[in-house]
Amino acid sequence: MATSTTSVPALRMERLGKRFGTTDAVVDLSLIVPAGEVFGFLGPNGAGKSTTIRMLLGLLLPTSGAAWVFDAPAGDVERAHEMLAYVPADVALWPALTGRECLSLLAGVGPGIDAAYRDELLERFALDPDRKARTYSTGNRQKVALVAAFSTRAPLLVLDEPTSGLDPLMEREFRACIAEAAARGQTVFLSSHQLAEVEAVCSRVGILRSGRLVEVAGMADLRRLHRSEVIVELAAPEPGLRGLADLPGVADVRWPSPLRLELSLTGPPGTVLRALGGADVAHLEVREPSLEEIFLDYYGQVPA
Amino acid sequence: MTALVAVQYRGLAGALGADSLAALAENPAIRTLFGPPVGLDTAGGFTVWRTGTVLAVLVGIWAASTATRLTRGDEEAGRWDLLLAGRLRLPSLVARVLVVLLGASAVVGAAGGLGLVVAGAPVSGSVLFTACLAGTGMVGSALGVLCAQLFADRRSASGVAVAVLLAGLLARMVSDGVPALAWLAWFTPFGLLGRAAPFAEDRWLPLLVLAVLVTAVAVLAVALATGRDVGHGRLAGRDRRTAPSRLLTSLPGLAVHRTGRPLAGWATGAMAYFLLIGLLATTMTEFLRDNPAFADLAAQAGFAQLVSVEGYVSALYTLLAVVIGAFTASRVAATAADETAGRLALLYSRPVSRARWAATEAAAVTLAAVGLAAATGLAAWAGTAWVDAGLGLGDAVTGALSVLPVALLCLGAALAALGWAPAAVLAIGVLPAVGGYLLIVFADTFGWPRAVRWFSPFAHLNDVPAEPWNVAGGIGMLAVAVALATAGCLGYARRDLAG
Repeated sequence: MATSTTSVPALRMERLGKRFGTTDAVVDLSLIVPAGEVFGFLGPNGAGKSTTIRMLLGLLLPTSGAAWVFDAPAGDVERAHEMLAYVPADVALWPALTGRECLSLLAGVGPGIDAAYRDELLERFALDPDRKARTYSTGNRQKVALVAAFSTRAPLLVLDEPTSGLDPLMEREFRACIAEAAARGQTVFLSSHQLAEVEAVCSRVGILRSGRLVEVAGMADLRRLHRSEVIVELAAPEPGLRGLADLPGVADVRWPSPLRLELSLTGPPGTVLRALGGADVAHLEVREPSLEEIFLDYYGQVPA
Repeated sequence: MTALVAVQYRGLAGALGADSLAALAENPAIRTLFGPPVGLDTAGGFTVWRTGTVLAVLVGIWAASTATRLTRGDEEAGRWDLLLAGRLRLPSLVARVLVVLLGASAVVGAAGGLGLVVAGAPVSGSVLFTACLAGTGMVGSALGVLCAQLFADRRSASGVAVAVLLAGLLARMVSDGVPALAWLAWFTPFGLLGRAAPFAEDRWLPLLVLAVLVTAVAVLAVALATGRDVGHGRLAGRDRRTAPSRLLTSLPGLAVHRTGRPLAGWATGAMAYFLLIGLLATTMTEFLRDNPAFADLAAQAGFAQLVSVEGYVSALYTLLAVVIGAFTASRVAATAADETAGRLALLYSRPVSRARWAATEAAAVTLAAVGLAAATGLAAWAGTAWVDAGLGLGDAVTGALSVLPVALLCLGAALAALGWAPAAVLAIGVLPAVGGYLLIVFADTFGWPRAVRWFSPFAHLNDVPAEPWNVAGGIGMLAVAVALATAGCLGYARRDLAG
């Protein structure tokens, strides 16, 4: 994580809450995203991701708590939005404007853009900017918003499921753009339920469930906190290993054959490795859980 | 609403003698709006004359905009894709929706007739009037469905459908004003209503023509639905534009860009109408001059200036206030619709506060309203100049500009609604003009107390150019408009954004 303790965080939320009628959409959300970080904001449909983002943008007013963008209150949009660019989940454009007109409008009302980079992005995303917005597919509308956002070079990019309409080629291009933005020191706040994408680009993730933040951790820490799969192949049977099941953190011990052992491990692997020390191990494999498995763990389902 | 009309009619009939009715009929604003008075001596005839055209216009516009919303609107939003993924084909879906719409229009028309039966009017006239109203609604809905086949977006479709209907109204006025063009009446539902003359002549042939009109438009609509792509219109328009608009680089530019085309449409309609008013000026003023009895009655009813062309034009500019008020309210309603459709989210993700955008748009709409008034004044002048009525260009334009405080009051009310009741922007926005107009007509007709009359913006408007500007009234209304707009912008900035 490229952070320094003296710099102002890119995003700061303090006990942020939003209630619609009797429904609590977001509850007591406190989170700090340091400048320069690529942060993944995860959660199933309806968890409150978009509501949180719309509060960060000042589109919705929080019922409790507050949020800041580089120390500008989220509600002070003239100041806060100088420093951010946004891609909504469902991009709606004025149907009679062309893509180019939408881009020049969004550029013109903001603090200015990198025109050369915009033209490059148009090439890379293969977008025809002279077509009217009503002829664009969902993916093409999303590309307009992505080009507009990346070309601002704003220090903070707030992206709400930006690739839901993109094909795999364009998604690869998107990941490259995120990497370039991160290399330039831009902060990225990426809401998604495309776990592979988050896993590929994010250094830290927050997991939202029913409006509550249930976990915030770096990708590596997150894996460490969760079960990893250990597979041991033995050169000769070793009956002494039957006692492995009693070790702390070990669960789900399986013996597909007398020479093959599989188990789930939570926490540091030291005790298991010591127990294996006396055995004739031919092959050892420790597989960290995928984000998908972690994610499903949080929602009480075990991947098949 | 029709029940209200019936009750209104009873009140009118009880409160007024035949003389005052005739005086009211000679108010040229009402005369041009409601058509030539026939059969005013009967209860039903009076109601038809007093409410027929307005009801027909309302039913027609309602039917046309409902039709485009239920056809093109649903198609545009993608709601038809699932429906058409089943066994239903597009032409049969269009035909079914059309049948439902035609039925709904007939029900609305029947409700109008019921009001007359309640009022105790003869059955044959009531049935004829009911059928004419229903027929107008059916023409409106068929037109709406037809336009929905032609245009790929709902706004164009309903705009063109309503414009065609209003062109029909204009054609009726021309046919009543110019004897050589009287045949035009046979091609518009409003003209056919006049030709049928319920309670006076009770002619049935125009009804047959109306039925032919409905059938022709409906058949054409379904025919055009056959073999077209779902989500596309028959008139595609260009999908590419290589030269981007230079305006679209700043907020004021965007405001001007999105006001331009609607302004052109409204200006065309208003200018055509007031050109006609101007052309009729000498006919009207000479009639009153030759019939002093009518002029005296008109003077007693408060229209003392009608014998002069200035008085005639200024009385009709009252309608212009309603038109420009509706224009300003519809522009704010378009912003509310953009919000609901999520089109403002990207704009508001830039350093653009909502109050700034609302104020920018309000400024553009204000300029457009001034332009609309000036253009209309010019058209009225051109008409009067053609017939040598002797109206000065300056008088014509300042008279048109003098109604602007009412229009800006509408803009203020619409902005207040944008801030505090975004679902009802159009209704609240047109209230000062439409509600105020009805209030002053009723207040004057029934002799309501001045305190009630005071609440109508029209009570603070003088008949310019026949009278000097009401400066205090104008400033007062502008102050209220600014207060409403400010409250609206504050509310808009402090609420959740939809979409």
